[in-house]
Amino acid sequence: MEQRLGNTWRMTVNERKFIESALLSGLRIDGRDPYDYRTLSVKFGSEDGSAEVHLGQTRVLAYVTSQLVQPYRDRPNEGTLSVYTEFSPMADPSFEPGRPGETAVELGRVIDRGLRESMAIDTESLCILSGKLVWAIRIDLHIVDHGGNLIDAANVAALAALLTFRRPECTVGGENGEEVVIHPPEAREPLPLTIHHLPIAVTFALFDDEGTLVIDPTHLEEAVMGGRMTATLNTNGDVCAIQKAGGVAVPPSVIRHCLRIAATKAGDMTSKIKEAVDAYNRDRALQKIKRHPFPASVNARLAGTHMGEKQKKSEPPIHKGDGLKQMAVGISSHITKDRECKMQSTRGNSHIDGISNSFVGTPSSWDPYSKGVDTELLKLSLASQASSKPSEKQEEVQPDTRSFEAKPQAVPEETKEPSRAIQPARSHTQSKGERTLLDAVKPKNKRKKKASTMDGR
Amino acid sequence: MAWGGSDPGCPLLRRLPDQTSGRRTTPAAGAPQFEGLMEIDRADGRTPNQLRPLSCSRGVLHRAHGSASWSQGNTQILAAAYGPKAGTKKNENPERASFEVIWKPKSGQIGKQEEEYEMILKRTIQSICVLTVNPNTTTSVIVQVVHDDGALLPCAINAACAALVDAGIPLKHLAVSICCSLVEPGIVMLDPTKLEEEKMKAFTYLVFPNSSHSVLNKGSAQSENNDETEQGLITSVTHGIMSVDDYLQCLERGRAATTKLSDFLRRNLQPQLPSNT
Repeated sequence: MEQRLGNTWRMTVNERKFIESALLSGLRIDGRDPYDYRTLSVKFGSEDGSAEVHLGQTRVLAYVTSQLVQPYRDRPNEGTLSVYTEFSPMADPSFEPGRPGETAVELGRVIDRGLRESMAIDTESLCILSGKLVWAIRIDLHIVDHGGNLIDAANVAALAALLTFRRPECTVGGENGEEVVIHPPEAREPLPLTIHHLPIAVTFALFDDEGTLVIDPTHLEEAVMGGRMTATLNTNGDVCAIQKAGGVAVPPSVIRHCLRIAATKAGDMTSKIKEAVDAYNRDRALQKIKRHPFPASVNARLAGTHMGEKQKKSEPPIHKGDGLKQMAVGISSHITKDRECKMQSTRGNSHIDGISNSFVGTPSSWDPYSKGVDTELLKLSLASQASSKPSEKQEEVQPDTRSFEAKPQAVPEETKEPSRAIQPARSHTQSKGERTLLDAVKPKNKRKKKASTMDGR
Repeated sequence: MAWGGSDPGCPLLRRLPDQTSGRRTTPAAGAPQFEGLMEIDRADGRTPNQLRPLSCSRGVLHRAHGSASWSQGNTQILAAAYGPKAGTKKNENPERASFEVIWKPKSGQIGKQEEEYEMILKRTIQSICVLTVNPNTTTSVIVQVVHDDGALLPCAINAACAALVDAGIPLKHLAVSICCSLVEPGIVMLDPTKLEEEKMKAFTYLVFPNSSHSVLNKGSAQSENNDETEQGLITSVTHGIMSVDDYLQCLERGRAATTKLSDFLRRNLQPQLPSNT
């Protein structure tokens, strides 16, 4: 049992012998098979490029940020990638704050090698002005809970964060072609990184020279093991990196066996990561539709998850003034993907009614027949989103409702939107809105067709 | 990108909706209370006295002795506490328990700002803990910023307090922390987000002890910045310029808000039994 005194955790002889002898019979102390991974869960934060991975008890946070810098002299056309690892003292009592220890450095290096040397990320696409300005991608990994097998978990976190990271779009212009304009996310949709393949790290714990090995060791098994080997592979069967730094010596047949197992595991992990990222991207795309006509990033963050509460109440009466406010509401409810947070609002309830009286949003020149439609479209799409099951609502649509306040009316339009590929050119929403208004007076089926032709443009 | 088309000086203030937008009116000094008025327009629709939604989970980490994740709106902090370790640092008093705070920002180097936060947290924790129970020990509190959207230090103090409770460190009372900001002289707004904070004339982080369950006239507080009659103020950090009256108004508002926070904290911390290691 762990003592209450921080740094003095030592494994007892009993525990060690127990783990070793159980392994000889192929049993692990948490009941897994020797080649089984623990449950992996990938969650994303509210910003692009932030991911949190739970691998059993191990927990890693990854943040990806980008900056414009001068490139290295010997590679003027390539962006740079750097990995920083922080072994937070909260993860393990033996982690000291300050400079990274050797395990931290090794972890950073293994992940870096897997990404950089295998060209997983296309660094040439990060070049803006050759020799002058390139994007430098920085990955910060924070280990917050050390339950064993940090390399694999940190690698998954780094990949998940890279897959969901978006960098601002920039255009080169000016007289001599040297002026670079960086567009804020409201103006132009930020771009994802070009990632060719996903290198997955699979760690094996080796116990003796006869090839007793397990995958994904817990921290107790790590304290007992004789050596460790990490193989980084991708689904194409390429070996991106292998790391075995000392430890017990094993024959090459064991190494080959490990690589074969690692290949299958890499496939599993890749599909899990892709699933999680796809789900995140879908949610993000849905909220992009509503987010468009105003300083979305501002509203989105400020509204926070507060408005989730609001939606739980019976849908408040929607009038035009409310629309924008409620839209901000809907955005934010989808931004926080982190499901660990329990929603509790302290004062939110009593003040929600007060909110409906205040009016936020662009139009001082608000004219219901020009820009008002955006409000309507978005507000209605929000309202349908509020039920969080737009597909179900589609069945309940009454074809005859024409009034602006009718929620079901928006549903066919709204469900059309996500079914299309989401176009980055959101600036057309304005004109799209106008057409939607005109179409609103036409019969419903024609409007649907118009919606499809509009999006096609 | 302005809301309501007002000038960039203070986009939060605007005229009431029955008039056209554009000009903002400066309220007279000593403006009336605005419990009912909608003069202050916050981007997420809160009233000036409204806090963002709170959520707190304890016991989120497995290795740490105590851990808590606290979020106010989008600001989220993860705090962990490691129970008393033997020995104290050289310049600490060995007859008392000492605390060590490590602040981990989301990315980037540790700089002066982080060291300042560590110092403030450490002093705050020292004043809420019973220092004589475990002399000559060091308890570490580690704070990790998961997302920063304003009111970072108050969120961290709340998270650290919850982590200490989860670790079972003996405390005199809980610390409840809040950020009060000054929009204009006379107008105080609670719990600003990051964008709101940047536009404020001044803001202050306040830490109060939590309100006791039975209503007594005298609170139980020790205080570093003392003098309040009922509940002492434990910590106050201000940024920007504010008049004395405004500061006192911030204190009043802050104290009123802490009753709500205390209730939330009590409800959250009470029913859960600490999990075994």
